[in-house]
Amino acid sequence: MSYDIEQLARLLSILPPAPTGWVEAAQTLPQLRAGIDHLVARAGEDAELRARIVANLESALAESGIAPTPHALAEARRRLGT
Amino acid sequence: MTGAATDEQLVARCRAGDGEAWNALVERFSRFVFAICVRGFRLGREDAEDVFQDVFAKTYEGLHKLRDDAAVRPWIAQLTRRCCIDRLRATRETPEAELDEAADEEALADVELALDVHQALERLPENCQEILDRFFARDESYRSIGEALGLPAGTIASRISRCLDKLKAQMEDPASVERPVDG
Repeated sequence: MSYDIEQLARLLSILPPAPTGWVEAAQTLPQLRAGIDHLVARAGEDAELRARIVANLESALAESGIAPTPHALAEARRRLGT
Repeated sequence: MTGAATDEQLVARCRAGDGEAWNALVERFSRFVFAICVRGFRLGREDAEDVFQDVFAKTYEGLHKLRDDAAVRPWIAQLTRRCCIDRLRATRETPEAELDEAADEEALADVELALDVHQALERLPENCQEILDRFFARDESYRSIGEALGLPAGTIASRISRCLDKLKAQMEDPASVERPVDG
């Protein structure tokens, strides 16, 4: 297939980088999942602890080493069924 | 830029729990997913960010179900389309009957071609990758590029021109010789 230079230049401009924060958040997904798995497992073993986690989810995430971003909070709420 | 592993190799390594491979996979497809959201479906920034995270979460969850590791690119494209349509449905700003036509198919075809070009760019010498990406994709000025790369601003245009020629050659003949562009 033949390409002209102007077409290549136009196509290069179509893929700007995604915002750095978005990329970094996606890259930390495995750690996020592992951290939330651990939190959910602990909550499943102790009803009192679960109530404390649900009541103050931001702190619970932070204490587990997870940045309490909106995405992390939403995922934790989904997994905890709240 | 994300190194020389094939899509198939990256997927296999991700499935084996290799964190570096996951980082590289996200890096490789981040522009593609972003462009589908904002060019193909014209999502606003907030919706695009939610879809972007959702796509990679579903990619991470679904990698083990992928039947053909080499087909990760069309799979991610399809996943992104579905997530964009779900997002438009959730915002209720687009009537249900119009959701199937919400995508700008011409823009999406351009995004596919653009990813082919971007992948060819990754096979060029590092100096060409850097200068073409900064100028065209990041929209940086000659002056800014010159300062970042320690080059006289007056040489930037000619370097871009030579690197575009190399990119054209790479697109037309992927086996074309790699050689740094200087001067």
